[in-house]
Amino acid sequence: MELKVGVIGCGNIFNLAHKRALRGIEGIRIVACMDIDPERAREGAKEFRAKAFTSLDEFLDTEVDVVEVLTPTYTHAELVVEVLKAGKHVIVEKPIALTVEEGERMIKTAEKRDLHLFVGHVRRFDKRWIQMKEVIKKRNILPMHIRKAEVQNLPFPRDYWYWDENRSGGVAVDLGVHVTDFLRWFVESEPVSVYAVGKSIKEEARANGTFDHFIMIIKFEGGKTGIAEVSWAYPYPSRYGVFYHHVDIIGKNGRIRYTPLDTPVVGVAKANFEMPRFSPLLSTFPDAFERELRHFFKCIKGKEEPVVTAEDALIALKIAERAKESARKGEVVEV
Amino acid sequence: MKKLNFGIISYAHPHALRFASTIAGGKQTKLVAISGDGSNSDIARGEAKKYGAKFYRNYEALLRDENVEAVYIAIETYRHKEIAIRAAEEGKHILLEKPIALNLRDADEVIRAARKAGVKLMLPFNPRFTEPLVKAKEMIDAGEIGPIEYIQTISENVKPPIFLQGLDMGWFLDASKSGGGGFMDTAPHGVDSLLWLTGDLPKKVYADIGAKIYGFPVDDIGTAVLEFRKGVLAVLTAGWGNPRGYSYGIEIKYYLVGREGFLDVRTAYPDFTVYQDRAEKIYWDRPDVRGIVSSFARAVLKDEEVPITGEDAKKNLAIILAAYESSRKGKTVKPRV
Repeated sequence: MELKVGVIGCGNIFNLAHKRALRGIEGIRIVACMDIDPERAREGAKEFRAKAFTSLDEFLDTEVDVVEVLTPTYTHAELVVEVLKAGKHVIVEKPIALTVEEGERMIKTAEKRDLHLFVGHVRRFDKRWIQMKEVIKKRNILPMHIRKAEVQNLPFPRDYWYWDENRSGGVAVDLGVHVTDFLRWFVESEPVSVYAVGKSIKEEARANGTFDHFIMIIKFEGGKTGIAEVSWAYPYPSRYGVFYHHVDIIGKNGRIRYTPLDTPVVGVAKANFEMPRFSPLLSTFPDAFERELRHFFKCIKGKEEPVVTAEDALIALKIAERAKESARKGEVVEV
Repeated sequence: MKKLNFGIISYAHPHALRFASTIAGGKQTKLVAISGDGSNSDIARGEAKKYGAKFYRNYEALLRDENVEAVYIAIETYRHKEIAIRAAEEGKHILLEKPIALNLRDADEVIRAARKAGVKLMLPFNPRFTEPLVKAKEMIDAGEIGPIEYIQTISENVKPPIFLQGLDMGWFLDASKSGGGGFMDTAPHGVDSLLWLTGDLPKKVYADIGAKIYGFPVDDIGTAVLEFRKGVLAVLTAGWGNPRGYSYGIEIKYYLVGREGFLDVRTAYPDFTVYQDRAEKIYWDRPDVRGIVSSFARAVLKDEEVPITGEDAKKNLAIILAAYESSRKGKTVKPRV
């Protein structure tokens, strides 16, 4: 059975990651590409000899089984609900939605129509973390205290949608859900409470009245602690958008650490200093996207059970949303 | 050149070993007496013999020795107050192991006694005497990374063996004697560095501290979020998180994020690594201990202010206690600094 796939949103994440990943996956065919920008829709469609659309209604009239929604966060809920109502399975980029309430509506719609809804939590498909998780299991590390940092110097101008909290959720949500999901995945417990503090460091953040540096201390059941640190304000040269992960897992039977120095890099030494770089802009390795999408398509075909569900994505968002509330109030918030 | 005559009271705290060798080998210091109060009395006696210092069974006898001008007190924390006050009353200058006391009231009494007697009182927080942190402080003060926004730091030690270098450290696992476990043991170093680097005090503390790893009767790991008055945000992880086999003993690191750059300051003590059935770091020099002893001796001999006062140590303790309170209550706490 070949799945017919449509794509909504042919911008950054499509061009940087999904385009290449989709090309490598067997048993699917990209038949339709939509973007509100006709040029982008045409460019995207050309890649796959698919049809280009700028109208959602016309796009939904095409015969597709699955739609990938790769648009800015604030549009997820409306688009996904529309697509589900048109009877198509959905794969949507993370975060699942701008708010928990929207995410719940999306999940309910999918359930009611017995359709699949998957959220692109690509960290779950990154070889580093998969391997780390396996080592934890095999060696019975029993994580109790985990710190995960995802930091970069966001290279986009101040009027870009990422900087607008009403469109992206801000760094607490945009990068935050990656880390809250990672922590929950690794401690294998449910969150109890969160305390968070945010800062506005870069001019872009201050101008938009949003945070660009955000930390969360999450208490999980069983006395486990998760420390999330996300930042768009790390003072690296912004033109590369270098993205760094740090992990420090303290368990009952050992400790695991990961620093940027453990990642393969290409060191560049020139007259004017450049940071080492490996995959500019992308926060993971390209093959993680391919592994993720292949898995979701297999789930839709009924050949695999999902390793990460829309409910997982919703909890990740819920922690981040509560964390924002905590940062606003300056107090601990129950999850 | 005049040397300062030191007595060491107790070998309960393993730092006594390092301080003894540093004091005995110092240009401005001489180790003249050791008392065997508290744990590890036999070790204290052996050390006295090794350094040719006079051995006393208890501190009262040592304090009556007129040859002793200053004392380094390494007794179990719960006895800091009693002994520091007596030392002040006998007119001895005091280098007191951290934390200053079990609580702020006791800390006040120690500070008052030293002030009344007109003796110097100093607390040894090691990291600010290490070269990398001194360099970092210089760079920050020179504005090289812009205003500091965020600091992530760890001050950690390995799982505490109950016997380290032949010393019985059982009291570290008894909160009534030590005031707390791994966080109490190692977080004061991180806190001191934060206060020193920022030149500021936290207005709010949130922490999660617990007996999470080894099943000890005391906490073994904790993380605190500190929000400073002038806006710096800091996350400090401290405790005994490093398992046996981890190549670092003491591990102290700072990730300092400024508006225009960042500093990655690594473990402070110069070391080399021995690889056998496990990897082990050997610290071949401890400039921090030398710095503490020599700055204390200089302050006494030249009658200058010590670099870390009782008041500084009391603020440090107030922050640590606020972190414990926060963790217990699950709420933020305003430290009494």
